[in-house]
Amino acid sequence: MTLLPRVDEFSCCGHGDCAAIAPNVFRVDEIAVVTGPGPDDQVLEAARACPAMAIEVTDAETGEPVDL
Amino acid sequence: MLSNVLIVGGGLAAQRAAETLRARDHRGPIRIVCAEPCAPYDRPPLSKELTATGFRPPSWYAENEVELLLGRRAAGLDLAGRRVITDDGSLSYDSLIVATGAHPRRLPGLAGRPNVFELRSVADAVALRSVLVPGARLAIVGAGFVGQEVAATARGLGVDVTLIEAADVPLAHVLGPRLGGWFAELHRAEGVRVELGAGVETALPAVAGAPVRSLVLADGRSLEVDAVLVAIGVVPETRWLAGTPLAGGVVVDAGARTVVPHVLAGGDVVRGCEHWEPAARLGAAAARSILGLPVAPAPPESFWSDQYGLRIHLVGSAVGADAIEFDGAGRSFAAALHRRGALVGALLVDRPRELPVWRRRLADALSQPERNAA
Repeated sequence: MTLLPRVDEFSCCGHGDCAAIAPNVFRVDEIAVVTGPGPDDQVLEAARACPAMAIEVTDAETGEPVDL
Repeated sequence: MLSNVLIVGGGLAAQRAAETLRARDHRGPIRIVCAEPCAPYDRPPLSKELTATGFRPPSWYAENEVELLLGRRAAGLDLAGRRVITDDGSLSYDSLIVATGAHPRRLPGLAGRPNVFELRSVADAVALRSVLVPGARLAIVGAGFVGQEVAATARGLGVDVTLIEAADVPLAHVLGPRLGGWFAELHRAEGVRVELGAGVETALPAVAGAPVRSLVLADGRSLEVDAVLVAIGVVPETRWLAGTPLAGGVVVDAGARTVVPHVLAGGDVVRGCEHWEPAARLGAAAARSILGLPVAPAPPESFWSDQYGLRIHLVGSAVGADAIEFDGAGRSFAAALHRRGALVGALLVDRPRELPVWRRRLADALSQPERNAA
């Protein structure tokens, strides 16, 4: 669990794809919020699936953004 | 390298391009030049709520060193000189992002009348909203998603609404006859007169510049109106690209690159890019291409509509579907669209939580065409 997701509140449309893929990482009410860490593969899949491209992923060890 | 990025147009694709450039450490100048007088805003609420809000607080642009050149219209593109000609001088670039969107199609005989509206900008929405008072008679020409959303919003304001659609079924080219027919019935149940296979023959009085008092339909019937909305689609805004290889239509690859070096494009100006998601995606892709970053493949596209309190999603495509499988009925259902046995799309009415499920099913189906094409 070295990948940290962040939801951009201005970009999120509240579609809910992220929470469907990673229910322990995201919760979606009006918009998505990150509720906790999760498996790297789930975090990446959720970020890639976001139709609004509102999820950024950072490598916690290097602090660098991860290309999706 | 402090390359100078110029973005022409101020919609979603422009905003996403600027944000992605700054997020990925582009340090050179970023300028957004836009004909509208206000900072970039999101367009879907225009037809859903007759209003719009900015993508970001006004301070965001200064904080991120994104220069907004508002109220300036692009008038030409000098490819050899790498500069855009505007109505107030020219602007040079190292990389150019074309994001000028689209303008509404107009109807001869209705253009230039004071009570005839179109809906593309926040100014259009404010003007239209001002005439939607209880009891007002509104005719909407065109029963696409914009026309339908305004019909629903106007009914909520107590307006008397007539939808006039040239095709025999609304949205037939998008959803096919069966699902399109569901939308016609939805509006009728909400008290909208829905005239299908109908067209406006004449607007009376037939005096240029005079308010329209009645519309004469092609079958001879006359419709008294206080206001008319023309919502018959849009045309990509490419007039300023005259004389370039982009004048006949802007086509891009997955990285938002056009056929012209150093010129990228995103949003409604791009052929085949007419919804929110691809506009956002191409805006970001343009930025990534400028920075030399890879562009991830897109998940199956969806779009949404809000009508009478119902959230409606279409994921994938209904075009060419030969079978529809319903789960639910009335005003809450999922319609799975198949072609030759393979899932190609889904229409979801009041099933917002199922959108991710269908998007994943569709991605799976699309990734295994040979198995599903049997």
